[in-house]
Amino acid sequence: MVRAIKGTLVECDPSIKSIIINIDKEKNDYIIEDLDDSHLLIKDVMVAQLKAKLEERLKETVPFVEDDSGSDKQ
Amino acid sequence: MAPKRKASANLTGTAKSGRASASSTPGPSTPRDIDSDDEPNSPEEPAENEQDIQKAVDRFTLAAYQDKVKRGPIDSASRYFGDNGKRDFSYLPLKPDYKSRPIWIDPLRGRIILENFNPLAEQAKDFLITIAEPQSRPTFLHEYSLTPHSLYAAVSVGLLPQDIVNTLDRFSKTPLPQSIVGFIRSCASSYGKVKLVIKDTKYFVESNDPEVLQKLLKDPIIGPCRVQGTETVTNAPSMGGLVIPGTSNAAGVKQAQLQQGEHQHPETTEKTQPENPFDALREDDDDDNQEAVHAFEIPDTSVETVQKRCLEIQFPMLEEYDFRNDDRNANLEIDLRPATQIRSYQEKSLSKMFGNGRAKSGIIVLPCGAGKTLVGITAACTIKKGCIVLCTSTMSAHQWRQEFLKWSNIRPEDIAVFTADSKSKFPGNTGIIVTTYPMVTQSGKRAYDSQRMMDFLTGREWGLMLLDEVHVVPAQIFRKVSHSIKSHAKLGLTATLLREDDKIQDLNFLIGPKLFEANWMELSEQGHIAKVQCAEVWCPMTTEFYDEYLRTQDRGLKSNLYVMNPRKIQACQFLIDYHERRGDKIIVFSDNVYALQAVALALNKSYICGATGNTERMQILDNFMHNPAIRTVFLSKIGDTSLDLPEATCLIQISSHYGSRRQEAQRLGRILRAKRRSDEGFNAFFYSLVSKDTLEMYYSTKRQAFLVDQGYSFKVITQLAGMEQMEGLAYNTPRERRELLQKLLVDAEKKQAELTEDTDDLFYTTSKKRRVRRTAGTLGELSGGQDMAYIEQKKSMNKTLKKKPQQNVFFKKMAREKQRLKDQR
Amino acid sequence: MSANASSLSEYLEQLPGTTFRRLYQQPSTTFAIFRRMLPNLAKTIVMAILYMPGPFLLTDLEIWIKASAKREKDQAISILRSLHIVQRDASPTISLTPNFRNSLRLALEGGGDHNSFGVTSTHPVPSDIDVNFLDRYAQKKWDDILHFVVNSVGFSNGPGDRGSNGPKQSVKDLMIRGHLVERRGASGINITQAGFTFLLQEANAQVWTLLLLWLESADAVASAKGAEEALREGLDSVDMLSFFFLLASLELGRAYDTDALTEARRNMLPNLVDFGLVYVPPANARQFFPTRLATTLTSSETTLRSVSAGFAAAGNLNSSAADNASGAGAGESSQDKSAIILETNFRMYAYVNSPLQIAVLALFADLKYRFRGLVSGVLTRNSIRRAVDMGITSDQIVSYLATHAHEQMHRVAASAQKPVLPPVVVDQIRLWQLDTERMLATSGFLFKDFDDYKEYNEICNFADDIGVVAWRNDRKGMFFASKVDQIKDFMRTRKKANESK
Repeated sequence: MVRAIKGTLVECDPSIKSIIINIDKEKNDYIIEDLDDSHLLIKDVMVAQLKAKLEERLKETVPFVEDDSGSDKQ
Repeated sequence: MAPKRKASANLTGTAKSGRASASSTPGPSTPRDIDSDDEPNSPEEPAENEQDIQKAVDRFTLAAYQDKVKRGPIDSASRYFGDNGKRDFSYLPLKPDYKSRPIWIDPLRGRIILENFNPLAEQAKDFLITIAEPQSRPTFLHEYSLTPHSLYAAVSVGLLPQDIVNTLDRFSKTPLPQSIVGFIRSCASSYGKVKLVIKDTKYFVESNDPEVLQKLLKDPIIGPCRVQGTETVTNAPSMGGLVIPGTSNAAGVKQAQLQQGEHQHPETTEKTQPENPFDALREDDDDDNQEAVHAFEIPDTSVETVQKRCLEIQFPMLEEYDFRNDDRNANLEIDLRPATQIRSYQEKSLSKMFGNGRAKSGIIVLPCGAGKTLVGITAACTIKKGCIVLCTSTMSAHQWRQEFLKWSNIRPEDIAVFTADSKSKFPGNTGIIVTTYPMVTQSGKRAYDSQRMMDFLTGREWGLMLLDEVHVVPAQIFRKVSHSIKSHAKLGLTATLLREDDKIQDLNFLIGPKLFEANWMELSEQGHIAKVQCAEVWCPMTTEFYDEYLRTQDRGLKSNLYVMNPRKIQACQFLIDYHERRGDKIIVFSDNVYALQAVALALNKSYICGATGNTERMQILDNFMHNPAIRTVFLSKIGDTSLDLPEATCLIQISSHYGSRRQEAQRLGRILRAKRRSDEGFNAFFYSLVSKDTLEMYYSTKRQAFLVDQGYSFKVITQLAGMEQMEGLAYNTPRERRELLQKLLVDAEKKQAELTEDTDDLFYTTSKKRRVRRTAGTLGELSGGQDMAYIEQKKSMNKTLKKKPQQNVFFKKMAREKQRLKDQR
Repeated sequence: MSANASSLSEYLEQLPGTTFRRLYQQPSTTFAIFRRMLPNLAKTIVMAILYMPGPFLLTDLEIWIKASAKREKDQAISILRSLHIVQRDASPTISLTPNFRNSLRLALEGGGDHNSFGVTSTHPVPSDIDVNFLDRYAQKKWDDILHFVVNSVGFSNGPGDRGSNGPKQSVKDLMIRGHLVERRGASGINITQAGFTFLLQEANAQVWTLLLLWLESADAVASAKGAEEALREGLDSVDMLSFFFLLASLELGRAYDTDALTEARRNMLPNLVDFGLVYVPPANARQFFPTRLATTLTSSETTLRSVSAGFAAAGNLNSSAADNASGAGAGESSQDKSAIILETNFRMYAYVNSPLQIAVLALFADLKYRFRGLVSGVLTRNSIRRAVDMGITSDQIVSYLATHAHEQMHRVAASAQKPVLPPVVVDQIRLWQLDTERMLATSGFLFKDFDDYKEYNEICNFADDIGVVAWRNDRKGMFFASKVDQIKDFMRTRKKANESK
């Protein structure tokens, strides 16, 4: 029987997908279905939160390099 | 050209595990981590010395001279410039003719911005390099920093505070901020005031200002050190008559011309701009050079006490050597060979050292391949006294001797090498000794002949001490050296006066100020060093590797994962293949020795790391240089410094030391002296392979900061066209990649794949202790014997090379030379 | 033609014929459209047939025009048709629409009592209101608007400045409705992509953008409250447009009679005052002065500064005042023109003084320090990301930097035969934007568990045909659709068809 599942299709590169899966691992409350290498089905209500978490993770893995030319040091 | 074996960056890695314990204190091959400089390695080093230096350093900050005017925001844009618009300096009015003036000065931090396209830019740069630290020198606008040390350097080459202020004011688009004037006056006045000079092997404290000298004599610590009845008044030295050899064919060339750096065209010097600050200074000096100089003598034993105390009371002592009036030390018969011409920037750097006719101690910074050795040799030829050269390795010491023989007319017997297996002296009453830092700083009991040699070195007075690769040597080594070996002048040489910690500042006090720092882009434009195309290649992690990277908390494993990322190995293979076809010779750098071996084996290339024996190293390098079939060599960080392979035209780095800007610059230096550099349109290539979405990206950006500020730009390559289609691409099947990952994981478990970093240099034999450790750890893997099947089938390229032993002419000569010296003894 | 013509013509082209008939009742509007909106060939054609008694054969027209210029001719005719200047019928002849013809004749010959070109005021003109005064006034008004867009409102312009709270609330609302800025958080206002595009336009185009937003909002009011109500508020878009064209035909520096305007137009004046197009002296509300912003509406040359070249003028005003105060020389204009230097080390040095232009730079660069006439900053992953998050694109940033590149950049680039901006930096700016677009989210439904492949295939293909499939996997027999209503209908129909079989 055909099923139509409400959700948000997330398209991303494999690395981002890995990070999302890693985020999901904690509570399993983001991913509805793992579609393929670059697609996931995510719960609608969790998308905003996921975006924020992803952002956070990316900043952790590749921190911003501060330019100190404007700092008050000499 | 024969390979040049000089020093190495014995810098990193080991001290973490506490290996640099007291027992191995500055012995040979005890490289130090950059963090370990302040470990109390040698008990005789009083820790308080560091603090004294810190006290002196702290005092000279621009903050102390800020005007106290409270300024609110100037307009609605002020809020973009710090709290309350404090970096909005638009309150500084412009001079009416500001357009023809090239610089702005930031009153808060002493930053100077220079318009490189301004008609006065050349003159301003000449001046700024003397008084300020270059921060960034790309195409249009350059930035410099006024720091206490840069001002120290300025004063030490003979500039007076008032001259600095006047000249800056002349170049500045705005009236000079008061904070800057105050800062310069204060720094410069205290720095230049007191000099420590050696006359007839006696130390004198000297000053132009009798009041300052009185102040010193009243000091409870310095006063008692005076040798009674020694106050003298003499005339200040004039700089007339001193000619740095090699700078011009005409013997009587005037000092003023030296500053112009255009001696090849004497007619152009006629037109030199009168604005040149140095000319003005020189004239002043001519007028005033009869100014009286006051001095009192202190005994040798008190030198350190007085030096320390002077720092404390904010009169740091300058050391200068009036070598032309030194009748006590025998003159050395040495001059540059007539055919030897030094380049304008080398000359410029030396003129800073000999600016007032005396030799000043300090550091000269030139990029790799720009001829630091010749600068050192020219300095020795100028002073013409006994000279001691300190290098980082034995091979480097031999190399220095060769260079001396090549460029100067010194008699071969007058220059001797002091290393573990060569302990010769010169026959006459003066000469040159080339040795290594470890040889002279070794603590503990020495062999009889070594001790005898040390007594010889410490028992006499040297005119010049040349310190090679000063950036890699920890401060206490210098301290030790300068305490035990007496020299009138010290010249430090390096390519990158750059450390991730701030320890570099100590060198200002231990050796001397930075006298000169060359502009990389300019040298490259002029063809002195090779033009380089830099690229950062982004390699996406494969999914399996990235999942593991995200999962593990083990930093070592994380690092192995991003270094061994199969996509990166493929990119490396692709680039090697591409550049081999182009006819390039390629060096692949990997800090991570585990990856070095694995990748070299996988791609069937030879490699050299710390554990590679000397004979094998030479065979590999020899093949790399002379065998057209061997176009690629893998090197661990032992190849970072000093290894001179002019054949190499392409560098690929697959793993590096975190965010080290210096390593990046040093590695780039490996291809700057490429043989083909002056070919029309020649470009060397520098690739940095980084795994995307990993810490490596972050480090990579940090690493590039220095070179980017020198004007290099790193093109980001996100995709290598044609890589996927390449035949025989390594790790191209999921199975191979899984196996590689499995192996990494298993090895991590066994702790065998810990981040192994080489720390010794290319030609320096490691101590027994360390060798044993390594054997127990990873030596087994070197053979490839215990690796998994896919590696096992590949024959180590290193071994193939072994079968055709072939010795480089240079080494044969070197060996003969060594033998001859032994026989002589 | 400059950039504004396109947006104005886009607006005009979608108007119905009846609107044009009303517009062309006014000789001033007719003349302005003729002057401003037509390419030269179209003007020639109009002039040629203006006084012809009857329709003109298209074949005859072809004789006039070189065969090689056929494309231009076709284009001209098409523009004339789209603006309802010539009849839009399929006949083989060409003729002017009656209103356009009559009004243009009137405009050229004079006469009539339409007052279409304004009635000058008979009241005495205060002596301090001259062209200079009006220029400063207009500039201040317009800068307030631009400052609001770059979110730098409410800051004092230095000592002696009474500070500005930015444009009137109605103008702010207009810009929010027009999505030039949007509200973020409780009180924050942030620039949008459209806002940045707006900033990059020339002043003339900016004014039109704002006027068109006003027209659209008038249309919206009309459709919400009814035309009668809108008319009372002075919001009849056709009349507004006519009034804009009227203003454009007035003379700068001259006073016009407010009483000669219709009531509806008098009601429009306060808004035009807020935009800075019109000045009404506080002492005498029966006079109004058009500013340069108004009188140049339909001229192609940009007499007033635009954000690009024009900031220089603004900077000049500020700095010359400051220079006078400090006694330093004036004349920064030459340095202020196209004056950004972008280095390979990502540092940016801009030769600017104007707070407005500095505010624009602050949108995408981390500013470090400022001297008079020079601002230093650096482009970082963070600063570009901030801009991208506001909706500014990397392409916009790059084009902004390229447009304003310092002459030295051009000089060096030309001699080295390299691009003006360092390619490595440009690449990196783009890569930084790509970095923010690594996750694309589409809401909808995942269809799975089909009974058989045939069912999957038919439904998925149907969905694909109507363009709602965002992802499909034939092997797994699943697809994701962004919209489902039509798919459900199709499935129902399909089921019925199967059952009836």
